[in-house]
Amino acid sequence: MDLEDDTTILTTLKSFNSFISRPEHPQRLSEHSAGSGILQSQYKRSMELLEAAERVHSKNRYLQLDQEKKQMELSHKRARFELERAASDSARDLEHEVDRNQELLGQIKKLEERAEEVNKKLTEQKEANDALQKNLEGLNKTLEERDDKLGTANQTIRSLKDEIRELRQKIQNQDSKMSAQTLENQELQEKIDLQQRKYQEVSQLCQSLQAAQSSCSDHIIKIKELERRLVFQEQDFAIVKTVKSEVARVPDLEKELKRLRDDNAYLRLNTFLKENCSLLKEEVEGLRKKLERMEKTKEELINMELEKELHAWENLGQSTGLNIRKPEDLSREVIQIQQREIALKEQNYTLNSRVRSVERSQSELRAELTQQHSKTLEEQKKREAQDALVRRLQKRVLLLTKERDGMRAILESYDSELAPTEYSPQLSKRLREAEDILLKTQSHNAEMEAQLTKAQEETGTLKLQLQTVSEPALLNSVCACIFFLRQKIEDLERERQRLEEQNNILEMRLERHNLQGDYDPVKTRVLHLKMNPTAIAKQERQQEVEALRQEVTRLRDLVRSLQSGGAVGHSQDDTHNPSFSLSLAPSKEVLDLRKQMESSELRNQRLKEVFQRKIQEFRTVCYVLTGYQIDITTENQYRLTSVYAEHMDDSLLFKKGSNGSMQLMETEFSKTLGEMVALHLHHQKSIPAFLSAVTLDLFSRQTTV
Amino acid sequence: GEIGLSGPGSSQRAFGINSILYQRGIYPPETFTRVTHYDLSLLLTTDPKLKSYLTNVVSQLKEWLFECTVQKLVLVITCLETNEVLERWQFDIECDKSAKESSAPREKSIKTIQHEIRSVIRQITATVTFLPLLETPCAFDLLVYTDKDLVVPDKWEESGPQTIDQPEEVRLHSFTTSIHKVNSMVAYKKTESA
Repeated sequence: MDLEDDTTILTTLKSFNSFISRPEHPQRLSEHSAGSGILQSQYKRSMELLEAAERVHSKNRYLQLDQEKKQMELSHKRARFELERAASDSARDLEHEVDRNQELLGQIKKLEERAEEVNKKLTEQKEANDALQKNLEGLNKTLEERDDKLGTANQTIRSLKDEIRELRQKIQNQDSKMSAQTLENQELQEKIDLQQRKYQEVSQLCQSLQAAQSSCSDHIIKIKELERRLVFQEQDFAIVKTVKSEVARVPDLEKELKRLRDDNAYLRLNTFLKENCSLLKEEVEGLRKKLERMEKTKEELINMELEKELHAWENLGQSTGLNIRKPEDLSREVIQIQQREIALKEQNYTLNSRVRSVERSQSELRAELTQQHSKTLEEQKKREAQDALVRRLQKRVLLLTKERDGMRAILESYDSELAPTEYSPQLSKRLREAEDILLKTQSHNAEMEAQLTKAQEETGTLKLQLQTVSEPALLNSVCACIFFLRQKIEDLERERQRLEEQNNILEMRLERHNLQGDYDPVKTRVLHLKMNPTAIAKQERQQEVEALRQEVTRLRDLVRSLQSGGAVGHSQDDTHNPSFSLSLAPSKEVLDLRKQMESSELRNQRLKEVFQRKIQEFRTVCYVLTGYQIDITTENQYRLTSVYAEHMDDSLLFKKGSNGSMQLMETEFSKTLGEMVALHLHHQKSIPAFLSAVTLDLFSRQTTV
Repeated sequence: GEIGLSGPGSSQRAFGINSILYQRGIYPPETFTRVTHYDLSLLLTTDPKLKSYLTNVVSQLKEWLFECTVQKLVLVITCLETNEVLERWQFDIECDKSAKESSAPREKSIKTIQHEIRSVIRQITATVTFLPLLETPCAFDLLVYTDKDLVVPDKWEESGPQTIDQPEEVRLHSFTTSIHKVNSMVAYKKTESA
């Protein structure tokens, strides 16, 4: 069908094209001549052709489309068929899938349930784990605490041990010091005794000196007294002489007296001498006084003479045996007596001082005696203690010797177990030595025996001689010789024994010392390696100790810095201990926070300052501009002071009410402004107006005043 | 060689010293190993410093023993904290000079050497039972008593006898080598509980 269609289409197209081309030729030939009528017919033809072509085209197209449509329907059917097959397949598949899906969903649910269970178990286990971990941590902490305690206890124990050692050493040092000091004490005491003795002697000398000095002073005093008495006596003698002379004048005076009395009487009788009465009276009085004095002197003289006579008589009476003729003799006697007295007193004093010194020495001797008694008692006690010690030591020595003998026996028994061949050289040597000694002793013995025989022969011959001669003297001498020799032998034997004992003791001592490690520096020398383990160990120990000490000081510094860092909290910690990062890790945060805090504080401060300044500025500006200084006295109370206030206390008080409105409070100043208050506040209800009115009022007052 | 003039003596002493150090705990026991000598299993130290020290001393000692100039060998144990001598092992060496002069060396069978070493070590082990415990850290030193006219070698110096104050003394078994007789004894410081 298509091909037929195609051919029809093609033939129509060919015909069309031929048609089109035919008219074109004629068109070209008769282009200019045809004119518009041909053109129009041609045009119409062409248009008809075009329309036919179009119709053909559209038919073609329609046919084509029909074909296509049929094709499409076929394909559609095929496709639908296939699709249906596919749909059925897919439906089957879907069913399969749905089944599988359901199965899977069921499995999923089961798995989810299992997962939930597992999760629950997991959570439970986690909780159990957490609890166990907490327990562990708690236990670890307790362990650590115990370890720390143990460590501290060990340290304290070590420190206590060190202290104990140090104390022991100190005690030893102090004991040695004590002993040295007791020795010094004893020496000093001896010195003190010497000094005391010297002092006693010196004091005795002093006392004797003092006694002599006192006696001297007494003598001097007595001498002075005697001199004074002498002087008095001379004065007395002079007085006596004058008195005598005066006494010699007494009769003359009596005569004068009589005459004067007569004159007196005469004068008394004469009346015209009354004028001179007073004078006369005075004269009389004077004369009377003189008289009295003369009478006194006379009496004294008489007394003295009487006394002297008495004395003289007495002295004469007393000293009839002393040949006294003049007062010089008297004085001499007196002096002699006084001298005797002085001598006797001297003797007395000396005797007294001697007695006192003797008493003192006696008391001292008694004290010394008691001291010596006590000392002897002490020494007796010491001796007894030492005797006891000696006895104990002797017993110990005995025990030790017994032990030693026992040990020696044991060791000898041990030694005897060994084969004798090993000791042969030493034993033989010892044997040889012993044999030598034996030989020597034997030879010595033989010599002694020979001497003895010789001596005996000599005695025998002597005896024979004696028998022949029979001189008792020789016998005696020989006997004496024999006796002497026997004594000598005994002495020598005793000495030998003593020397043997000494030798044994010294050998024992030597052996002991050798055992202990002593050596004869003349013959032996002790060597050891310079780098020996002890020296090395000591060095290491010292190094350890030093290292420990350094560490201790370092740790102490760290602890101190940490303690100080905890209190102050600055970056000093980092500069001191950069190595201990672990311990300072938390404190670093702390330090950062502190730094932040400081910076914020600084900022706050600066802000405060700035605010203050600004507030100050603002207030001053307000004051300047408005003319009022506003102060806040208490909460919600404001006090205004005007620039032009007449007094410092003039101020207005405003209170802020709860609803926010300002109310004027009563003050001294506000009482004076009653009108303005009424006008501006009550009437106009404007505080600014009131304030400005007040300012203007005050200003006006200021300027006028 | 094992059989010689002075060889057995010094090696015996080396073993003796090692066993003393082990028994008294101067060095920790784990630093000692068992070594076979003369068909005996004996203890020797593995500490290198100690080994070198001992070889130095023993080599010098061999020389001196050969020349018969040694009188005593002393092992001194000092407490490190108080610097006090706690123990003193003294070996008196009696040298038979005639043997040195003779040319033929005296032979000793291995058996006798073994016997002697064993007896020495047994003795040391036995004495350790009654010696007081060394509780503080200690160090040891080896002293050699020689004739005065000996030339002092380079690394050696004179020292004191390092005796113990008021010691307790115990004499031990003596043993002989080819040319020496060794008397041993141990002195130790009395413990304060006595």
